[in-house]
Amino acid sequence: MSHWSDTLPVPSGQRRDQVPRDHSIYPQLLEITLHLRQAMREHFVQLMSRQGLSLEERRHTQAICEKEALLSCLICRMINLLQSEAASDLELQVPLPSEDSRGDVKYGQRDQLSGQPDPVPQLSDCEAAFVSRDLSNRGIDISVFYQSSFQDYNAYQKDKYHKDKNTLGFINLGTSENKLCMDLMTERLQERDMNCIEDALLQYPDWRGQPFLREEVARFLTYYCRAPTRLDPENVVVLNGCCSVFSALAMVLCDPGEAFLVPAPFYGGFAFSSRLYAKVELIPVYLESEVTVTNTQPFQLTVGKLEEALLEARLEGKKVRGLVLINPQNPVGDIYSPDSLMKYLEFAKRYNLHVIIDEIYMLSVFDESITFHSVLSMKSLPDRNRTHVIWGTSKDFGISGFRFGALYTHNKEVVSAVSAFGYLHSISGIVQHKLCQLLHNTEWIDKVYLPTNCYRLREAHKYITAKLKALEIPFHNSSSGLYVWINLKKYLDPCTFEEERLLYCRFLDNKLLLSRGKAYMCKEPGWFCLIFADELPRLKLAMHRFCDVLQEQKEALIVKQLEDAMRE
Amino acid sequence: MFTLPQKDFSAPTTCLGPTCMQDLGSSHGDDLEGECSRKLDQKLPELPGVGDPAMLSSDTSYLSSRGRMIKWFWDSAEEGYRTYHMDEYDENKNPSGIINLGVSENKLCFDLLSWRLSQSDIQRVEPSLLQYADWRGHLFLREEVAKFLSFYCKSPAPLRPENVVVLNGGASLFSALATVLCEAGEAFLIPTPYYGAITQHVCLYGNVRLAYVYLDSEVTGLDTRPFQLTVEKLETALREAHSEGVKVKGLILINPQNPLGDIYSPEELQEYLVFAKRHKLHVIVDEVYMLSVFEESVGYRSVLSLERLPDPQRTHVMWATSKDFGMSGLRFGTLYTENQDVATAVASLCRYHGLSGLVQYQMAQLLRDRDWINQVYLPENHARLKAAHTYVSEELRALGIPFLSRGAGFFIWVDLRKYLPKGTFEEEMLLWRRFLDNKVLLSFGKAFECKEPGWFRFVFSDQAHRLCLGMQRVRQVLAGKSQVAEDPPPSQSQEPSDQRR
Repeated sequence: MSHWSDTLPVPSGQRRDQVPRDHSIYPQLLEITLHLRQAMREHFVQLMSRQGLSLEERRHTQAICEKEALLSCLICRMINLLQSEAASDLELQVPLPSEDSRGDVKYGQRDQLSGQPDPVPQLSDCEAAFVSRDLSNRGIDISVFYQSSFQDYNAYQKDKYHKDKNTLGFINLGTSENKLCMDLMTERLQERDMNCIEDALLQYPDWRGQPFLREEVARFLTYYCRAPTRLDPENVVVLNGCCSVFSALAMVLCDPGEAFLVPAPFYGGFAFSSRLYAKVELIPVYLESEVTVTNTQPFQLTVGKLEEALLEARLEGKKVRGLVLINPQNPVGDIYSPDSLMKYLEFAKRYNLHVIIDEIYMLSVFDESITFHSVLSMKSLPDRNRTHVIWGTSKDFGISGFRFGALYTHNKEVVSAVSAFGYLHSISGIVQHKLCQLLHNTEWIDKVYLPTNCYRLREAHKYITAKLKALEIPFHNSSSGLYVWINLKKYLDPCTFEEERLLYCRFLDNKLLLSRGKAYMCKEPGWFCLIFADELPRLKLAMHRFCDVLQEQKEALIVKQLEDAMRE
Repeated sequence: MFTLPQKDFSAPTTCLGPTCMQDLGSSHGDDLEGECSRKLDQKLPELPGVGDPAMLSSDTSYLSSRGRMIKWFWDSAEEGYRTYHMDEYDENKNPSGIINLGVSENKLCFDLLSWRLSQSDIQRVEPSLLQYADWRGHLFLREEVAKFLSFYCKSPAPLRPENVVVLNGGASLFSALATVLCEAGEAFLIPTPYYGAITQHVCLYGNVRLAYVYLDSEVTGLDTRPFQLTVEKLETALREAHSEGVKVKGLILINPQNPLGDIYSPEELQEYLVFAKRHKLHVIVDEVYMLSVFEESVGYRSVLSLERLPDPQRTHVMWATSKDFGMSGLRFGTLYTENQDVATAVASLCRYHGLSGLVQYQMAQLLRDRDWINQVYLPENHARLKAAHTYVSEELRALGIPFLSRGAGFFIWVDLRKYLPKGTFEEEMLLWRRFLDNKVLLSFGKAFECKEPGWFRFVFSDQAHRLCLGMQRVRQVLAGKSQVAEDPPPSQSQEPSDQRR
């Protein structure tokens, strides 16, 4: 859109003359910082544009990228700060080279990725967010955080595996999506009852969710959670996804800087939802894989650990407002027994903590010998006004693109406060109708969908775990969810998060996207999460790549160990 | 001058103190219409009703202090919403129910839309639409949006899909933009009267305030028409904000204007943009009514049609289907900005403002159907809007009531000042209540932060039978109300002193 730009670059010499020197140090500081940024960028561009790097070197480059991202972000903040000071001090516009050159050059720059020297250094996609002086600091923070977390996911989106069109593309076993029942869902959603266009669906809705949908959700949860008494539609709020529900809850239960306790490892999306808008801290309650006297099961959550974490947080002066539980657990796949659940709830009550329970995988329990107990099935809750349940269709019905999440809470205050976000997290009336129809058809769900889905999950799980066993890789989860939590420690030497990252990169180099333990705030390096709810041909190919990488890694380890031995 | 105090959420009492909870009745749908802002300025006799006492004392609440503030936003809106929904007019089932001329929705073209949305090309279901996708919106949709806006905004060069971000409505867009452009406590300038719900949109997550540029109905100085926005007024408001220690980051313009039904000429628009550039302000131009200009002669021009934008990197355009396609329940809104940093930052928040893949597909199909839009939908929609507008304006003329409306949007800005003997906001509220008691819902000026008491917004984009009945009820109220004698009271002098806080 160059036709829009009429901003002309102002030579820096001329600018300097305009600035009255005696006014303030800010403009000078600003200029120095800008120079610093320029120099840093050039340095990094140089570092990264070297051709023909070996694998080792490329991995090294990854590390450089991360450092650069961090530095850029910091410098950006400095620039923003200085700029605002400089501008207010001088009460005149200081045209900055960064601003003026950007509008015109950017697209051209982006298109030619040749890396030739240019007055303005190239901006990588990732960096684009960092250079802004148009964003607020929190805007920069949001952008940086998002980019750094989703960089690889975006790479996958751009280069997805396809069995005919792109056989060398990425396979994603890192994003928790159920792709096993697309046929059933597609068919169901095309049935005639799904399509309804009524005036009421096109008009402004009840922002808590259309009454017909809230009633259906209450009925659905009563039935599938085996609630002792009928759940009340007035306690339901419907939003466009569980992350929206979590974000809204974090807003209304905590003030900025306050915190929730979360047993770790835990689903990384929460870290996002608590930080992006709400600025709420998640304090991990670290769980260990090793079985000891007190830790009778791997990654076992105990009240002792909760109390310890709470005490520690309080000693650090943090204000803890609640506890977040995921049940069935993601990524470990544990299902809390009614007894332990009750203990956690009583712990929370003791300290006046809210409990947010995410039961988004409640219908994805594929081991028939195991019964899932929803918190809503309890006869009496220790503190019903502080117990808030989240459920959605993304996982259990494999329709993450549908954007639907529901909150169930007895607390009317929380219902009202979260409802205020109905505006910002609303769902289309047309989609609300479809969801209602979907949830309403219990017969189809019970007789067709759930049996098929569980069967397919079980088969995929069987396939994956057989492979893992053959490779002698320890793993957790044999009953629920879409994932297995695997231990690749033996492929790391030394066993550090840096090595974990490098192994992750090696998978990435082989076009396999996984999630690593760090992203789940796991305390021990070497854990990975593997999503198996994918069709068999893709899964097979993925495991093929997986084995290749581990073989490669093993060989590299042996070489390294030999080298070490030689040196000694 | 600020909707909310500059203090943090941690001290909600300071801003919520003078609040009249029973008076929160009027808010509906989108026209939560800055109810909030109104209430903040009013007297608080006692605290009956939902949830309000809890929010004033933190001990009894389960919520955080910002949670209590957020809940208050909801409760205040919710009460009015309920009033209307509990007694909604229905020709057969509830003929004595409330007629809604308060919410800005276009109810004239459901027949056309439901036909179009029922066509087979729209009802597609495929796996990619059911899975996670690009959070900016599916590429196929962003491409259609870019083409659509290029065509209907008459942009000099084709607009680019990479500058498009798609979300679930304009409200979300205000929220996301406020968050990524401002720090907490910073502000946007906005000319008043304005679509009051923006207050809530920028505040809930963003904790961003609005600094008002007050406009007058009286034509003075260089003004050529009532409520005219001028650069001089912008400068004054900006200076005032600065002097109060408030940092202003941007300017919000709604064009066509809501509630005035006015439009900015390209020259005016250019002046405002130059002003913003001079002060390094972002400009958010909300063009949600751009295709609802039913009088061709007014010559509406989108900001995207300008040959040169003074500061393209700080100009961000919003559009949505809520108004122009009469589908406020569909939840589709879009941002167009050349600034990739802003687009990326907004997209980073899109996982919280995503819309269903199925709806994205439907929207793409709808927007690409240029033939239907040009030959069927727009001509018919405009003809119906015009007919409804003519009807209401003639009714008003017959009653001798002055009003403003230039042929854009769904509403007429009506001057009922002569019905307020003392010309106060209390009387405005009383009159509004009288309308409601007589089963017709309107929006009053204070909800738009209008500085003069006595203005009301009449939404006319409704079916004829409802409109007739609504106007009949309006007439009854006005006839029963004794008019004030000749000279209407000076409207400015009686404002509550805390209003310009």
